Parts: sequence; C-alpha cells; structure tokens
Amino acid sequence: MKRTTTQVTAAIAFALLILALPVLAQRHPSELGAPPPLSFKMPKPVMFTLANGIRVAYIQDAELPLVWVLGYFRGGSLFEPGDKAGLAQLTATVLRTGGTKARGGDQINEELEFIAATVEAMGGSEYMTVTGSSLKKDFGKLMEIYADLVMNPAFPQDKLDLARNQSLEGMRRMWDRPNQVSNILFQERLYGPDSPYGRRAKPVTLKGIGREDLAAFHKKIFSPSNLMLGVAGDVSADEVKTVLNQVFKGWAKAKVDLPEPAPLTERADGTVYYAYKDTPQANLYLGHLGARRNGPDQYKLEVLNNIFGGGGFTARLMKQLRSDRGLTYGIYGGVMDGRDRGPFMVASQLKAAQFVEALGLIKDIVRDLQTNLVSDEEIETAKNSIINSFVFNFEQKNQVMSQVMTLKLQGYADNYLDTYIDNIRKVTKQDILDAAKKYMDPAKMIIVVVGDEKKFDKPLASVGTVKAIDLKALIEAERGPQK
Amino acid sequence: MKNIRRTSLPGLLVALALAFGPTLLAAQSLEEKVTAHTLKNGMTVLFAERHGAPVFSTLYGFKVGSVDEYPGVTGTAHLFEHMAFKGTPRIGTKDYEKEQVLMDKIAQVGREWSIELAKGDQGDKEKAARLRAELTKLEEEQKALIVKDEIDLIYSNAGGTGLNAGTGTDQTMYMISLPANRFELFCLMESERIRNTVLREFYIERSVIQEERKQTTDAVPTRLLSEMFMGAAFIAHPYNHPVVGWASDINSVTLEEAQAFKQKYYTPNNCVLAIVGDVYPEKAVPLVEKYFGDIPRGDDPPVFRTVEPTQLGERRVRFEFDAEPQLMMGYHKPTFPSKDDATASVLGYILTTGRTSRIYKDLIQDKQLAVSVSTGSSPGARFPNLFTFNAVPRNPHTLEEVEKAILEHVEKVKTEPVSERELQKVKNNLDASYIRSMSSNFGIAMQLIRYQLLFGDWRLFKTYRELVGSVTADDVMAFAKTYLTPENRTVAYLVKKAKAS
Repeated sequence: MKRTTTQVTAAIAFALLILALPVLAQRHPSELGAPPPLSFKMPKPVMFTLANGIRVAYIQDAELPLVWVLGYFRGGSLFEPGDKAGLAQLTATVLRTGGTKARGGDQINEELEFIAATVEAMGGSEYMTVTGSSLKKDFGKLMEIYADLVMNPAFPQDKLDLARNQSLEGMRRMWDRPNQVSNILFQERLYGPDSPYGRRAKPVTLKGIGREDLAAFHKKIFSPSNLMLGVAGDVSADEVKTVLNQVFKGWAKAKVDLPEPAPLTERADGTVYYAYKDTPQANLYLGHLGARRNGPDQYKLEVLNNIFGGGGFTARLMKQLRSDRGLTYGIYGGVMDGRDRGPFMVASQLKAAQFVEALGLIKDIVRDLQTNLVSDEEIETAKNSIINSFVFNFEQKNQVMSQVMTLKLQGYADNYLDTYIDNIRKVTKQDILDAAKKYMDPAKMIIVVVGDEKKFDKPLASVGTVKAIDLKALIEAERGPQK
Repeated sequence: MKNIRRTSLPGLLVALALAFGPTLLAAQSLEEKVTAHTLKNGMTVLFAERHGAPVFSTLYGFKVGSVDEYPGVTGTAHLFEHMAFKGTPRIGTKDYEKEQVLMDKIAQVGREWSIELAKGDQGDKEKAARLRAELTKLEEEQKALIVKDEIDLIYSNAGGTGLNAGTGTDQTMYMISLPANRFELFCLMESERIRNTVLREFYIERSVIQEERKQTTDAVPTRLLSEMFMGAAFIAHPYNHPVVGWASDINSVTLEEAQAFKQKYYTPNNCVLAIVGDVYPEKAVPLVEKYFGDIPRGDDPPVFRTVEPTQLGERRVRFEFDAEPQLMMGYHKPTFPSKDDATASVLGYILTTGRTSRIYKDLIQDKQLAVSVSTGSSPGARFPNLFTFNAVPRNPHTLEEVEKAILEHVEKVKTEPVSERELQKVKNNLDASYIRSMSSNFGIAMQLIRYQLLFGDWRLFKTYRELVGSVTADDVMAFAKTYLTPENRTVAYLVKKAKAS
C-alpha cells in the first residue's frame, strides 16, 4: 500500500492527542499487516452419465431442505431459422406454460405453485435452459413434472398465442428505455442484422411461427444425449440416480445435429450512429468485435478488463468519467469473449452537455492502454482483486455446480479452476499492453448514441461520419399496420 | 448495468418482506445460529455463523432514509450515502491537513455557487460561472492530495465483493463481503467510516447523482410513474417524495447540509450491524468491541411528527410521457406489526403472484388485457403505507379497461371468501421463500437486519410469520372492505405522449 511518511506521522500525532481513549483502532488499514492464511478446499460436483446418455453433475448440500435443478440443452437462437427469429424463446416459454400430453399447463401451474416448487425454461443463444427448484421432500414430484415437460411438451395453440402476444407487447415497450434502444441498435450493427448473432425477433418473425415449428425445434434439440443436468441440494447421490433413471426412463436417444453458424466478420468501421430521442442523457454503446471464448489471451483480457472498465471504481472508466468528473452514474466496458467473438464495448448513460468530451476521454483511455504500460499499483490491484475474491465463486453449492457445468459445456480444460489463480498471477504489464493493442482499435469502433444532439457540447460530426437512424420510422416499420 | 453501485433502493426491504415468512423449523435453525450483542454505545451487532465457505458478508444500516428529509433537502440521505465512500481522515488522503484547508474553501465557494443555482432564472449567471470555475480549480488542487477511491482500492485488493450501499425511504444500508481472514480489516474500515466520513469531492458527486436521477427516474417510465403516484397518495407525509430527491434539491444541496444530516442520524445508537458467514463470535466480538465500541453515542434522532391525514376522496393523476401506457394504484393501510399488514401480503399474493393467482389467470392469461400486474406494500414500512397495484396493459387494451378489471377482483374479495387452498398456497410459498433466502450469507444478513433496524428486535420475523399464518378468509374480506375503498384510493396513469419521438 502506498502510505507516505507524513501520513504515518500524522496518524501517530493524532493517536497521542487522545491517548486516554483506546485509539489503537484508528489506524490506516495498511498498518494491519498481512492477513492470516486462508484455508480453502474447492468443492467439486460429481459427474456421471445415465444409461440414456444424460450427463449429470451432482453436488450435495445438506444445509437447507432444498433442491435445485439446472438443465442445459445445446441449441438456442443461434440455431433457429432467420425468418423465424424468436423461435427458441417461444419454444422454451410454451414448453413450460403449455404442459404435456398427460398434464395440462394450468394443472402443472397448480401442482408446482401449491408446493412452492418452480420449473422455468429459457431460450438463450446457445443453450435452452430448464431450471427447477423445490423443497427436498418434493424432489420426486418436481422431477416427474420436469422430465414430462422436457420429454413430452404439448405446445397447445392457446399458450403459443399467449406467449407470442406477450412478446409482441414487450417489443412495443422495448423502445421506451433509451439505454435499451442504444443496446439494440449497437448489437445489430456490430454483428449484422442477418447474422445469427445479431438478428433479433421482430413482430413479423414471431407472427410466422406455428405450433409445428415449436414441435420441430423441440425434437431437434431436446434429446438425452444433448442434455447436461445438474442437481444440487439436500438429496443423496443414490436418490438422485434412482429418481433420474425413473423419470427419464424410455427417453430415446436421438442424433442432434446443429449446423455451425457462419463465422462473424468485422463490420465496424468507425461510423457514428445517432438516433434522436427526447431524453435527458446521451445513451452510448460503442465498440467492435472482441475475443473468442477460452482463447489464448483469456487471462490477460481478464486483468485488462478489470483495469479498463470491469473492476468497479478502481477501473479507469469509472474513475475518470464518474468519480473524477461526475459525467455519469455508471460506465462499464471491456473486451468480452463469446462463442465466436464477443464484443469489445463500452456502455454508459452520460451527461448530455459533456457527451463529446466524455467520448474523447473514453478514447484517450483506450489509446493510453495501447501505448503505455499500466502502473504497478493498477496491475497489483487488478490481480489481487481477481485472486482474492476467487473464493466467492464457491459460497453456494448450486453456484459451484452451474459454474462447473458451464465450463464443461464450453470446452474449458478440466483443471481450469485449479490453475486459474496461477494463470492470473502470470499476467504481466507487457501482456496487458499487447492485449490492448491486439483487441482494441479506437479508429474502428462504431459509436451508437441515443439522445438529443441539440443538448450535446459539440456536434456529432466533430466525432466522425454520422449516420442518422430515424427511430420513429424504424419502430413504425417494425410494428407494421396497427389495428 | 452490472457494475453500478451506490444506488437508491426504495422499497427493497419491503419487497423482501413480502417474500418472508419462516416455517417454525427454519425459524429455529436461524435463531440457533444467531448471537446478538449490544455495544455500550447502543450499536446492535448480530452474528450468524455459517462455516461452508471461508467468506463472510456484512450489512449495516442506519434508521434514516428519505422519509427523514423535508422540502429543500430531499435526496440528502441518498447523497450522504454516496459520500460515505469518499474516505476518512486516514483513508483516501495523502495529506489530510492540507486537504482540510482546501475543503473549507470548497465548502464556502460551493455554498455560494449553490445559492446562485437555487435562484434559478433570478440567479446571477456570471457569478455562478465564476464560482463554478473557482470550484473546479480548488477541486483540481485537492485531487493532488487524494488517494482516489481508496475504500474501493483497499477492499479490491483484499478480495472484497459487493461493496455497495442502498438508500430507501426508511433506512440506509452498507454492505461488503470479504474472505474470512479479513475480519479485522472490515472492522477497521467500517468503524472509520461511521466515526468520521470526510466529504471530499462533494460537488463532483452531486453531479453524479444528477445523472443518476436522469438515468434511473427521468428516463424510466415505471419510476416516473411511481414518483407521480406517491406525490399524489401522500399530501403531508414525507413518503411523498422520491428517495433520489427532486432535481432542484439535488442541484443545490450543500456540503454543510449533508454533513448536518450525517451528524443527526449516523450514530451507533441508530445503527444495526449484521455479520453472516465464516466468523466465530467468540473471536469476532472482541474485535467489534475494539473498533466500534468507542464511537461516541449520539443524541436520539429527532421525534417524527407528521401523520398522513385520512384520505377524503379518490385522487387521480394522469401525465404524458414518451412511452407505452401503464398504471399504478394504491390504498392507504397500516404497517407492521398490525395484522392488516400481513393480511395485505396474503391478499397481494392471492391476487397477483404466480401463474395461478387470480389476476394472472384472468387478466393476463385468459382475457389478455395486460402483460403484467403486481402488488406491493410501498413505499416503506416504518410508517403506515400503501397496498399498491402496478399494471402494464397489452395493446390495444386501455388503462381504463385494465383498471376496471382489477377493481372487479378487488370487489369480489369483499363479497366472497378466498379459499382455504389459496391461503395454504400463500403460506407454503412464503415459507419456502424464507428458506431460500437463507441460502446465502447476504440473504441471511438481510433477514436479520430488517426487523432489528426498523422495529427494534430481529426476532420479530417470527411474529410476522405468525401473523401471516393466522390470516383467515374473514380477515382478507375485512381488510378489503375496510381499506380497498374508492375514497382511500389513488390512481396514476402514464399515457403515451401524442407527439412522441
């Protein structure tokens, strides 16, 4: 810690002044010395495979009379047809609300809610997830419903209509929040509106989805060999095996063949996209393509991100734009990784009257990371923060389980967690400089801003080539004719 | 945005309250884990041992929130909460003596500048600009003496997570989780902050909060609606203003006013600390005594006077905004420990929680008039509050249709008893939520602090559970007849601006 002699002297002088009180408590934290060592054994889930091919992760947690279940099926919006964008999410929603051939959706709602149990399904980009939770005594019942839903969903028309109508209303309302608007516009321009990574569900794609599409998508993805299922809680391994073997009995293996989405190409070209909205702040998203997941530079990027914009108030973005200048309530950013490429991005809602100034500061921060080595103190803080907080990944057993499952699904090495701290420790200042040069390019970044340019300190044209987006026309075109 | 901290959390505790309600079993297991300790300066410390992972979470709160503010200084509780991260005479500085000289000047120039700002159009623009420039110069000078955000820096290095704080109508809370070998660091840091916060960088932080208000209220339809609604529902009681404060007050509140607010309320006798995780009270209590024990006791906070007068007739608010329509509606009701408060939770659950609730099934699933309807107990719990509805209609259905459909359910409760199965379902779910909330150190800390801080005894969570458990169909009907009346109702509509962007 950086204490100066003057400070220590001042502290001692202060202590002497009020000697009568037990003032030893009033010291600078650096005077506490090194903390005692922390002993810690990483809890690990047990992995096994059922006869029908379901891979299971199990971790016992007898603290509370509860059980958590988490299932990942590979397959999500990346694998839906472009003209039916939204199919993965609708399939997930109606899988849950529509019930099964044996039990209606409303009946399942009654059965689960009366015993305070939950089953929920979500369609992500890469995975369909189905989660469940219940009191320990209801584990058998929970899994019976869970298995029935994933194996035999009925996808009735009324629940499809309900889900679609809800989504359509959500689409009407997503334009209400300026920060959400800037995010939507950014994602689309970053990845391309036709790419599986950049396209989004729209009224027209939702309206073209029928029951048969849901059933076909389900058939393609919901197979035992394509499922990794986690169970955590106050149940024994034997009980888990018995229950799972029973509820998934007869579920036939099927070959799951998902075509790889076309690889992403960089589209960012430094364009400034401006959408007018009558709102008090400038809503900013900027960036270009970032890193591939589990790549060679992952640890360097983690430390870089911590210093740049992911480490809370010690990060440069937060420090310089919020804490030093009061230009925003929050700002974050970094080189994110993704299945193909994540974004390198910065997002913030900024004081409109100093927006162009703020943009300049952000670019300066990026350029500085590409030009100069970070300070010893910065890299130490970033690494200490990551290493010393690592233990928090293991506070809850169900967290441990889901983390291990995600790592396995995404192809991380089995010893990833065991070697993580050492890998972070190895990162040097030169590594951070190299990573900043390799993964950041201020000239290429697209800049998406939603707000009112009249309130800005300078015209946007001073920043780069501006393309205006007519939000009102865009919204009307997407909604189509209204009743 | 995931990294944002230091926020206003109106109704956070209230929202959790709806989810609470222990089974006897879970209640006993919590009681067995807890050690309560009162320091001689009046500070209450609650420990819950949980030795699963070598970490602990802490949460401490002062019984002060936006309800303790008055016109002109609204938002001060929240503003001070931000300032509590700026350090102490020892933390955050390279030379505190030199800093003090500058800070006296900053206080003076800042005050004069704020006076000009408060005059609005009548203010001397030139003078304001000159003072602003002078302030900036002083701030730059002070920056050279500051160890930037050192509280964050120290905790980051120590592996701390979740450093944050939240201000509500009723209370202000501070939180940090640390590895188990950093207990003494926690004691040192937090006792320092409580003892002596230095309001460095005050006028920069005031600017951050101006942006916070724009980001979290002025651009957020639901929050704006809530502000309009509360302003109409309470005519006298300070539950009528938002936690973040009115823009005019945030723009001109002074350093001295924030300091005075702190002096009045940030005393150990107005504070409860909860520590949950891998801690052993026999080792931890002496450290807590050592660090927190000699913080001087303060005066009792001022007696709260204002009582909201009985509402004499329905109040309606309607405003235009660049967003799709939604509504908020509410009825005055008593707060804990009145049984009516527990009855309201049970009724709210029966009406709107889950896919089997009455209003979900009817308005959302069958008639599809709305995409969401929720109930709550708002905006705080220290004083009589409101039983509220928030509803989001589905186009092309109107706010009027949705309001009417909700009111039909309200009327039905007055004439037909709710079923035993519905009551049992609510109780089962409140019990399960309670157990689930015990699965994290932070969740347990929240449980412990709520009743101790707001009502003086953490064990009252059992009373709440007993109240919920004793709610009958007759109670629900009586509650509806007594409180859910037109003259006790306030309704606010957000309607889409005719000429929207």
